Amino acid sequence: MSVSSSRGAAARPNGAPQTKVCQFKLVLLGESAVGKSSLVLRFVKGQFHEYQESTIGAAFLTQTVCLDDTTVKFEIWDTAGQERYHSLAPMYYRGAQAAIVVYDITNQDTFGRAKNWVKELQRQASPSIVIALAGNKSDLAAKRMVETEEAQAYADENHLLFMETSAKTAVNVNDIFLAIANKLPKSESVGGGAAGGGRRLADGEPPRAGGCCK
Amino acid sequence: MSEDHCRFAATTYFAKNHPGETCGSNGLPLTPSSITILGRAQKLLTINHTNLCTYLDVIREKHERIIVVSEVGGKPLKDLNYKLSYENISNVGRQVSSALEYLHEMQFTHRTLAPDNILLDEQNRVKLFNYGMFYMTGGGSDVSFPLGLPKYLSPETILNGGGPSSDVWSLGIILLELCLGTLWTNLKPGPVLRRILTLVHSNNAPERIAREHDCYDKYMKIPENLRNIIEKCLKMMPSERATPSELVEEFSQVPCTEVLEAPPPRGLAGCRLQFVYHWWQLAGGDVLAELKTQGLVKNSPPILSMPVAVLLDGCTLGGKTPALFDRRVAHYTLDRLRARLAHVPPAHFHPLMHEPRHTGDAVSLPRIIRERDTEYQFYRILWFQRLLDGYPHTADLIKQEAATDIPPLLRAAVWAALLGVRGDVKDQYERVDKETPTPTDRQIDVDIPRCHQYSWRLAGGGAHAALRRLLKAWLATHPPAVYWQGLDSLTAPFLYLNFCDEARAFACLSAFIPAYLHQFFLKDNSQVIREYLAKFRQTAAYHEPALAAHLADIGFVPELFAIPWFLTMFSHVFPLHKIFLIWDALTAGGARLPLALGAALLRRLRGLLLGAGFNECILLFSDLPEVDIPGSVEDALEMSRKTPPSISYRRFANQPPVTDPLDMVEIPLDALLTETSPRISIRDVVTLVQEDRCTVVDIRSNLLFEKQCVRGSINMPYSGVQLGTRELRGPGGEALRRAGARGTTLVVAGDEDAAAVLVSTDTSGDPGGAGAGGRGALGTTLVVAGDEDAAAVLFSDYLVKCGVARVCVLHGGLGALHTHAPGLFTQRVA
Repeated sequence: MSVSSSRGAAARPNGAPQTKVCQFKLVLLGESAVGKSSLVLRFVKGQFHEYQESTIGAAFLTQTVCLDDTTVKFEIWDTAGQERYHSLAPMYYRGAQAAIVVYDITNQDTFGRAKNWVKELQRQASPSIVIALAGNKSDLAAKRMVETEEAQAYADENHLLFMETSAKTAVNVNDIFLAIANKLPKSESVGGGAAGGGRRLADGEPPRAGGCCK
Repeated sequence: MSEDHCRFAATTYFAKNHPGETCGSNGLPLTPSSITILGRAQKLLTINHTNLCTYLDVIREKHERIIVVSEVGGKPLKDLNYKLSYENISNVGRQVSSALEYLHEMQFTHRTLAPDNILLDEQNRVKLFNYGMFYMTGGGSDVSFPLGLPKYLSPETILNGGGPSSDVWSLGIILLELCLGTLWTNLKPGPVLRRILTLVHSNNAPERIAREHDCYDKYMKIPENLRNIIEKCLKMMPSERATPSELVEEFSQVPCTEVLEAPPPRGLAGCRLQFVYHWWQLAGGDVLAELKTQGLVKNSPPILSMPVAVLLDGCTLGGKTPALFDRRVAHYTLDRLRARLAHVPPAHFHPLMHEPRHTGDAVSLPRIIRERDTEYQFYRILWFQRLLDGYPHTADLIKQEAATDIPPLLRAAVWAALLGVRGDVKDQYERVDKETPTPTDRQIDVDIPRCHQYSWRLAGGGAHAALRRLLKAWLATHPPAVYWQGLDSLTAPFLYLNFCDEARAFACLSAFIPAYLHQFFLKDNSQVIREYLAKFRQTAAYHEPALAAHLADIGFVPELFAIPWFLTMFSHVFPLHKIFLIWDALTAGGARLPLALGAALLRRLRGLLLGAGFNECILLFSDLPEVDIPGSVEDALEMSRKTPPSISYRRFANQPPVTDPLDMVEIPLDALLTETSPRISIRDVVTLVQEDRCTVVDIRSNLLFEKQCVRGSINMPYSGVQLGTRELRGPGGEALRRAGARGTTLVVAGDEDAAAVLVSTDTSGDPGGAGAGGRGALGTTLVVAGDEDAAAVLFSDYLVKCGVARVCVLHGGLGALHTHAPGLFTQRVA
């Protein structure tokens, strides 16, 4: 993985002069143990841990992907899934340009929870946020409880990107991040993306939510 | 090898392989059989009975190999080259019955009882060896070889059933064999089993066996009462057989050879076997290496074990595989350990409380070496055991000793003592409802299979069930606390250490949380956590000002990385062996230590953090690099020692409320969140000033200062500094730099709090070290003191930004200090 610390096109070595570098803040949401951390780990490091430990608070990782004429750098906030940590979530999705809402295809409840997250994002997050729905653990198709058609229909209805993924076998993991990168508006955030707001956490607006609670 | 030199021995076998890669219903891989076996075997390690060889260790090796280490003593009945008298046969019967009685009471079935695992020593003492095979292998389901020798199996066992009473059958056959001589000598296992099953047709199995062997006369010569017992053991219907307890009773009516009472052994032989085994390992004893030397483990080139074919489901065909089960027993000699401890005088094996203590030479070496030093651990373990035997009367002594270090072998018991666990914890735990389903169960169930799973002890099904019970028990007994993710990690170390004593694990957890994490697990814990993180930020500013200022500049607040640190007391952040080091210090050092430890961890990462921006910082914490934990713990202890107590005051700590204005440092939470430096109480300042361990930085105008001031204080008028800058300039700057260099606490003091920050000094600091403006004061506290709090708070922030260490604000300002301790002030100039 390459984590580029450069923020402008000018600083990018070997890049074609017209290459744009965009930074986007992406947040992962969903019930606990659906595989959020595993998706990020697969995307960022190409690894998979059977016994991925639970996430407390949140974890942060970055990854850069190259599209035709643009380099997209994702700043990924991987959040805790437990309902109790819900009050921390706004601190992470505030100012995010993209979100992946994850559920577990072998568990119907997690799909319900995913729908709630979508609703919350539509209500509270930035109106232009790109939301993707990921039905994870597609390698466990034999134990499937959420039908692909059902999820697809829900995604279409709500204008979400949708893919069934497997962090374990890497199916559709890079694809869903690439699909998001493609859908994000790149024009505004050329060369550091002042309008992007992806660095709000860093740029003088430290989150003050504090604590783990409502 | 003489018997005296071999007190333990090992056996080895292979657990069953799961064919191919298969997943459980939760999508996670199946637990390897060897791990399941190890989990079960932990219970065997707690068995203590005079007729049972104590299990010492169960080890998992490559390729699902299991090694079982156990006490050994005497000779197997199989190897006796003389015939036992009827009295001695009854003696064997009595002691075996007593062992079986105990095992059955503990819900163990032996199943593999045979003359090769009944040991008889010269004192006529009988001990059963390797009686846990059936139990640890889940009734044989985790191994792919049959258990037990065919001729000792009961008929119902052969027909694939049978409970504890089949052990009584086996005993009956063994007793009969001791009376008549070896049975079914020339038969292969198949015919033997057939013979046993045909006994169904007879009313009197032993008699029929005797007739089959043409020794009916010999049978009739067995004393009647012994013969009756054998007949009661060999009843065809399991329900008609005598129970071990009845047998013990029956044997008490029969003439038996007495066990010769030897005088209690002295020296190494008198020490607990678990201790001896531990020291033996420290002295270089290697279970596996010995097995290799003695030929029980053989290495062959991999090419020889390659399968001929692999089926699609992962099953393999052909290829040379080593024997799955080896009946042989490897004996270990204690010679090396004896040599290592040869110079220890006999009296040292029994340390007395009032005598001066011996520690060996390693006492001054680093802890990691002390933990591996045979002699040091020898003295340490004996001494701690002595103290633990006297607990709770020795609680203070234990605490005192634990501050040095805790012997790893006794960690579970020592922690329990340090946490004040006492009373009938077993009964308390048994009363708790651990089963009733609650809405939290799903969360617990998804968290447990990923909690410290690299540890085999916590990875098996038994461990998962135990962790679940512990969590449910704690939640059930501590309303209104709720399950927060992280509670699982917090519980895991206690379960790991008290694997076979869930009640003690529960008691430790129940004592640990109120002491270190009071109110952290409330449904609404936001105030508690915000206060804790604010104190952490202030602690970091106090000890590491430059770093704290940098992190504040880039907006890298503790909320983003430190919640898992403190919510789980680092148990979610580090692997178990590091948690043990940290918690050793924590349990001995008290509730103030975690904040210092957080600051110590930041200090270790200082180089990386200072050069990093926001993203790099947070990446660093998402994937924490290798940190020197023993070093950090040392730093934290040092910081904690040098920090005046009021500085780490928390409103939500589990302490009686402060009522004396001299001790008061509490301010509203909103104010706390904005202040860079911690506040210090008047009492602490008085103490520090009297001991010359702090410097008061008086930020009032020099007019007021000259009128009257704290003796030895520095005047640095608030109006004389440029708060926005990051350089120590203006009047008093030089003096402050010198005070800082002395390493004292700097107390900033104004008229009231607003104007005061205090800087304190500690003589142990580096006298010629960097100035206060640089990396900061090394040992003392700077107390900033002024007329009003607000100015002092701003001033302290300025000092921290200038990189001055050990800055704190005098709570209440100089006015309050003067009211309570006028003696500290210079006389008013007339």
